[in-house]
Amino acid sequence: MKSNKAKSTKYVPPKKNFRQKMIDIYHYRWFYLMFLPVFLSLLIFHYFPIYGIKYAFYDYTPFKEPEWVGWENFSYLFDSARFWRAFRNTIELSLVKLVLGMVFSVGLALLIDEIKSVGFRKVTQTIVYIPHFISWVVVASIFTLFLSPQSGMVNAIITAFGGEPIYFLASDSWWRVVFQLLNIWKETGWGTIIYIAALAGVDQEMYEAAAIDGATHWQRVRHVSIPAISVTILTVFILNLAKVLNLFDSVFVLQNDSVIKSSDVIGTYVYRMGIVSADYGVSTASGLFKSVISVLLITIANHLNKKIKGEGILG
Amino acid sequence: MMTEKLSFKKGKRGRAAFIICNTIFLCLLMVIMVIPLWKVIVDSLDPTSVGIRLWPKQISFYAYKTILSKKSLYLPLLVSVYTTIGATAVGLLMTTLAAYVILQKEIPGRKLMITYIMFTMLFSGGMIPAYLNIQRLGLMNNLWVIILPAGVSTYNIVLMRSFFESIPSTLYEAAELDGCTPLRTFWKIVLPLSKPALASVGLFIAVGTWNEYMPFILYMQDNTKMNFQVKVRELILQDALAGTAISASDDMLKSAVVVVVVFPFLVIYPFVQKYFTKGVTVGAVKG
Repeated sequence: MKSNKAKSTKYVPPKKNFRQKMIDIYHYRWFYLMFLPVFLSLLIFHYFPIYGIKYAFYDYTPFKEPEWVGWENFSYLFDSARFWRAFRNTIELSLVKLVLGMVFSVGLALLIDEIKSVGFRKVTQTIVYIPHFISWVVVASIFTLFLSPQSGMVNAIITAFGGEPIYFLASDSWWRVVFQLLNIWKETGWGTIIYIAALAGVDQEMYEAAAIDGATHWQRVRHVSIPAISVTILTVFILNLAKVLNLFDSVFVLQNDSVIKSSDVIGTYVYRMGIVSADYGVSTASGLFKSVISVLLITIANHLNKKIKGEGILG
Repeated sequence: MMTEKLSFKKGKRGRAAFIICNTIFLCLLMVIMVIPLWKVIVDSLDPTSVGIRLWPKQISFYAYKTILSKKSLYLPLLVSVYTTIGATAVGLLMTTLAAYVILQKEIPGRKLMITYIMFTMLFSGGMIPAYLNIQRLGLMNNLWVIILPAGVSTYNIVLMRSFFESIPSTLYEAAELDGCTPLRTFWKIVLPLSKPALASVGLFIAVGTWNEYMPFILYMQDNTKMNFQVKVRELILQDALAGTAISASDDMLKSAVVVVVVFPFLVIYPFVQKYFTKGVTVGAVKG
């Protein structure tokens, strides 16, 4: 068997008999051993919970044994105004966030691309990436202090101009504005990386040709740069579209009881139903509802992505 | 890159004006971005600095001394350090192992293994089934729940594999001919050659774990098992909603915990920025 070892990796016949398969598997035995920790980790922390999805069809709280109820949890959800409110909020917050994030990132990437000084460019990039690495908990903390009606800087400026202090995070009308602004603050810079990379890949000859044809700088940006990164823009957009329902951490840490109406999303709804109220059945059902739609979105996104990338190569 | 000099000749004036405006605009943007962070640092040092002031009038390390002297603040810091180191080590090991196995083009069952990993990105049980699972396994209040799953992400594995693919395969073959077991090849050849990749993925896992919040809220009940993120939030929320007047030292302490939690990152960040950026672009190319 040992003499077979080196050979079996080389010429692989199209069809193998059982014996040869076993030899192959034996040859790769170390690799299977190496895969084992990954296998177990995913099994325990990812595949085991999938089994728990069955509780979507059970009446289950910590104080009683799970009892099969069929689709009852779902009909409860679909009749619940709060669930639909959470659903609507998720879509609204996510889509606005997606579009704003996109526009600002592309815009900033184009501006950074205009910087010709290597040093200034590096400094700019370094600084605008920073907020991405600060956790949402800490971002919420920083801005709770920054926007505080008692000691926050923003309200100090407002009162200095004679205005009334605003409690930004506890007002239904302001909460969404703050939420979007914080998302822009945190992720715009980081979002530029992929576009800057795409812009760096644009053929310089295209710009030169455009310049010879008498294109102004703006026309070059408009007709060369932007079309060149449009595939990237669309790809990022589609991939993010698949994740619209995943909104959780950012909302959870910025939320408080006085703004539930405008801020409750499916993720936080699941948390409140499941962890706070300990209604495992209904919360698992709403989580499952979210997962199923997400799978659909990802499948569609994947399909679209393949199509666009294929066309991108041909065109 | 086109080389372009700032010129005020006729016909170039518009361009020059644009370059100046762009520079000023980006500088302003950076200042606006940094102000909230800068303000926290100033407020943590200056007991008199509330409101608009952006420069400390006097400096006091009272808040930082308090953090280090109070066990309720010091312990979460240790938990953060412990889980970050643990998760980074475990995560790097698992990610590299998985990537290396998938790299073997002819291993029987390769497709199955890839599907096994990729599926986790597509579908998951969700928060409540995950919570019930940890509860059932008796792993509540066990920090391994934070450390073990942190690193095994599909994204990291794909990233690592693309890095590995850049190592010439003749090196593996030579090692194999010399009688190296795959484990030995892995340790002696693959890992040493992929240091930049290890740095990149390792940093992502480290920052991710340091920033972890929800798993602690969900799976840890004991106060001694909470990390610094949880503590920061607890402190900030203490009277934020009560609406009562806050003493200056309270505000200082709040600002100081925020500084402590972002400080380690800010210190290493300028030196390791390239690894973060590289991780994103490599991952993006591979899709």
